[in-house]
Amino acid sequence: MATAPNGSPDLGKLGDELYQHWERAMSSWWDQVLESPSFLGSMGQNLEGAAKARGQYERAVDDSMQKLHLPTRSDVVRVAKIAAQLEERILQQEDLVLDLKDQLARLEKEAVQARIEAAEARLELRETLGVLRDELVAARTARTAAVAIPSGDAPAAAPSVAPAPDPKSAASARGRKAGA
Amino acid sequence: MATTLANAVDTLRWLATDPVASTRTGPTPHQVVFRDQKAVVRYFAAKEPKFAPLFCVMPLINTWTVFDLAPGKSVIEALNAAGVPVYILDWGRAGPEDAELPMAHYVDTVLGRCLRRAVRHAGVEQIDVLGYCVGGTFLALHLARNPGPARRVFFLATPIDFHKAGRLSAWAKPETFPVDAIIDGYTNFPKELMGASFQWLRPTGSATKLKTVLDRGHDPAFRKLFTAMEQWNGDGVDFPGTTYREYIKRCYFDNATMRGGWVMNGKPVDLKAVAIPATTVAASEDHIVPPAAAFGLAESWGGAVTTKTIKGGHVGVCAGAALPAAILEWLKA
Repeated sequence: MATAPNGSPDLGKLGDELYQHWERAMSSWWDQVLESPSFLGSMGQNLEGAAKARGQYERAVDDSMQKLHLPTRSDVVRVAKIAAQLEERILQQEDLVLDLKDQLARLEKEAVQARIEAAEARLELRETLGVLRDELVAARTARTAAVAIPSGDAPAAAPSVAPAPDPKSAASARGRKAGA
Repeated sequence: MATTLANAVDTLRWLATDPVASTRTGPTPHQVVFRDQKAVVRYFAAKEPKFAPLFCVMPLINTWTVFDLAPGKSVIEALNAAGVPVYILDWGRAGPEDAELPMAHYVDTVLGRCLRRAVRHAGVEQIDVLGYCVGGTFLALHLARNPGPARRVFFLATPIDFHKAGRLSAWAKPETFPVDAIIDGYTNFPKELMGASFQWLRPTGSATKLKTVLDRGHDPAFRKLFTAMEQWNGDGVDFPGTTYREYIKRCYFDNATMRGGWVMNGKPVDLKAVAIPATTVAASEDHIVPPAAAFGLAESWGGAVTTKTIKGGHVGVCAGAALPAAILEWLKA
């Protein structure tokens, strides 16, 4: 038995203990009842009976309302269903629009990316061409210098800058030769 | 003893003022970023985001505010404070016009659309997802059939092995539970019946609750949590009829999440087909989804599964500090 520090019975603790005993006893009794097939069978039948009664009541109310030319619960439900279906169609369209928007954004991104890549490739090509041109000029300069400096101890002639052949005229000359 | 009695009298006086009626759950500020008919995606921004956003799928049978019960007792508030932006899928309240919507409508159409819109709103490619209770089951079914933007998944008190769901498994059997007759009569599964069935899972629960209130009702922190929990508990939602029929038959009767053979809307439900990693957390004293029912995931999921148990009951776990800590640990991994 629960006792207080002064030796007298601790009614609070005693109450707790009593409650726990009661709770355990009740729970074990309810456990047997609530899981017994006969109890569950009866509960099922009761539920079925109550549900059938509810359904009949709803139908009876609907019939009365119809006789009074008033909208029934079923009518209101039908209207609500139509509204829900319309909303669903709007949402489907919204989904579609959002999907298209995503696709467009993706395509736009891809197009911009492609343009950037093309521009980069052109820049790269221009740089390569620039380098090649520099190399060509350097090669020509070197060749000209080699032609201008005679061998031996002869005094250096005044540097003569030969004009670089015009690529267009060279090409047309090649064309004429080929044609001949 | 005199103090105890005085406290109990004070608590009874407080209860007589009906404090639950004036309680409002869901206090954390947020914005609605998308509506799919009744379903709503709510966005709770973190002041200083440190994590990728988290998309949470709540159960269809209760309101989302279980994750936001009261200031200081809110999973969302704790996650926001830690830097996690949170999206909540709130299914709304089903009415008779929703009675004929099949489970695929919720699992595929609504969940999928809300998830995609959250991803779009967040401006990310992938998102972490969390499912609680039936919301977790719906999320698992969705992921099994719709490979989408989910990066990894956290299941909280989510039933997967329905034949290990304790007393609910014993009750929900084809020979004793007339699900067709109930839905034919009621159209949707009424929240009152749902509430009563949860109450009868623990018949002494009401007495225990009263005793706890009398013992601890003088504590303001307890009062705050108690009123929030009571408000949430009394704010049930009807389960859409056709979806409930399918849920009970496929899950509780057939245990199809474990056994397979479930074809929904022409696509098979195969949890083994999901490759993303999952963490499943069960509450140690959960009598609605016992740990064995939640841990069925380890046998049925295709990707890697981590299991964890935290102290608490099915709902109480949402009010403690252990849950946000477990979610943060998972997010950091």
